[in-house]
Amino acid sequence: MSLDENDLGPGISVLLPGHPRLAVDEIDQNFHTGAILAIIDNTAGWCIRDHPDYVEGTSMATLDLRVDFLHAVSVSQTLRVRAICEAIDDNVAFVRATAEELENGLIIATGQATFMLGTPSGLDVTTGLD
Amino acid sequence: MADIFSSESENGLMCAERHLKRASYAAFLGIRLIVNEGRLQTVLPPREDLIGNVNLPALHGGVLGSLLDLTASLVLAYDAELIDTPRLVNIDVDYLRTGRVLETFGAGEVVRRGRRAANVRCWLWQDNFERPIAAARVQFLLPQRSV
Repeated sequence: MSLDENDLGPGISVLLPGHPRLAVDEIDQNFHTGAILAIIDNTAGWCIRDHPDYVEGTSMATLDLRVDFLHAVSVSQTLRVRAICEAIDDNVAFVRATAEELENGLIIATGQATFMLGTPSGLDVTTGLD
Repeated sequence: MADIFSSESENGLMCAERHLKRASYAAFLGIRLIVNEGRLQTVLPPREDLIGNVNLPALHGGVLGSLLDLTASLVLAYDAELIDTPRLVNIDVDYLRTGRVLETFGAGEVVRRGRRAANVRCWLWQDNFERPIAAARVQFLLPQRSV
C-alpha cells in the first residue's frame, strides 16, 4: 500500500493494489472483507496525524471500528481509501473513511472509527495490563 | 453410537474447514480451527509481520478485525452447515485490550439466523478467556439456495 499524494483535499488517501492473497478464495476473486477492514483501520489511524489538533508523537489505540460493505470488488482492482479525522476532543479522535475502486470511484465500503490518543507508552508489554 | 449425536457438528466442522481451506486471505494470516466442547474456535499464531505497533509491540488492529470477520463467518458456516460463503454486510468491532504478540483465539455465537440474514457475535482472547481483547457484532446475508 502507498500514500496517494496526487489526491489533494481534506484527510488522507491511500492506495491498495489488489493481490490474489487478499481474495476470498480461489474461485471468488473479490477482496476479502477482512482485508478491506484492515486497510480502513490503518488509513483511519494515519489520518489523525493530519488533523491540526494532533500533537506529533502521540500514540493512538483504536477504540471501535464499524465497516459497511456496500459492494464486492475484484482483486484485479486497486482500492483507494480516503479517511478524514473530523474531530479530536478529550483525547478521542473521530474518523470517517471510505474505500472505493480507483478506476471508477465506486464506493465499496464505508467505515467509522474512534481512537484513544496518548496511550501510555509505559504500558507493561509483558502482561498488557493497563 | 456417539456418532449419531456428533454427526451434526461434524458436518458443521466439515463446512467450516472447507471454507477455511479455500480462503486465500485466511491462509495468508495463517488461521487454524479447533473444536472445544462442541464450539468452533479460530487460532491465529503470532507473527512478526502482523504487528501494527512496534513500540508496544501490539498486533495490528486490522488483523484482529480480520480475525473477528473470519471467526464470525466460520462460526456461522459451522452452526448453519453452510456450503456457500455468507456475505458480510457490516461489522462493528470494539477493541478492548492491546493485542499482544501471542497466540490469539476467537469464538462466537450465532445470535439469530433467519432465512435471509444472520447476526453473529464474536470475541477474541489470548492467554486468559476472561480477558477478551476485542469483540464484534456482525451482520451476514445468507447464501440463497438457487432453485
